[in-house]
Amino acid sequence: MNKKSSKTSRAQLNALKKESDRALIEQIRRLLALPMNKRTHFLRVRHPFGGSHL
Amino acid sequence: MNAEPLLQRIARIFAEHRLEAVMVGNAAAALHGAPVTTLDIDFMFLKTTTNLKKLKAIAHSLQAVIFKPYYPVSDLFRVVNDDRGLQLDFMAKLHGIRSFEGLRRRATSVSFGEHELRVASLTDIIKSKRAAGRSRDLAVLEILEKALHEQEKLEN
Repeated sequence: MNKKSSKTSRAQLNALKKESDRALIEQIRRLLALPMNKRTHFLRVRHPFGGSHL
Repeated sequence: MNAEPLLQRIARIFAEHRLEAVMVGNAAAALHGAPVTTLDIDFMFLKTTTNLKKLKAIAHSLQAVIFKPYYPVSDLFRVVNDDRGLQLDFMAKLHGIRSFEGLRRRATSVSFGEHELRVASLTDIIKSKRAAGRSRDLAVLEILEKALHEQEKLEN
């Protein structure tokens, strides 16, 4: 039972990793479709008491 | 936040003061299509007396101050305007990069408004992050390598 559940969990993790890689490549391709001077949404704003946001 | 207005301002001010600097770090990687974010914009420059004078003038134009945070061990000059949340780091030395000239030669010119900024090649950015070896640099390496791979596929 334990062996089976660990196999399922490994398969789920692999699927998650694959999906996350696919989403990353898609995001990169969307960015590469823009001219370099428009790939500018990268700057984070610092909060005065710690932390930051985009 | 969209850094375009700030980059236009920086490009104009660099041109006005004739400072030659090459953008490096995550900001440069983002311009190459890597989905990464950053709080500051990093540049490599040649630490000469003239360039240090130019840096002072640039800080003045940006209503910012210059810090040398790790003085005297580093060649890092930090231009900061806290009210605007502006932080520009100027480095005379960069891990994994042998010379400013080589970095500049391999860099790309990108137009921001009427002026241009030189942006280090993604290969150089990866090389410097790998050589620096800090956990925050290593954490983005996989993303940068994927972006480089996609960039090369587009070029071929």
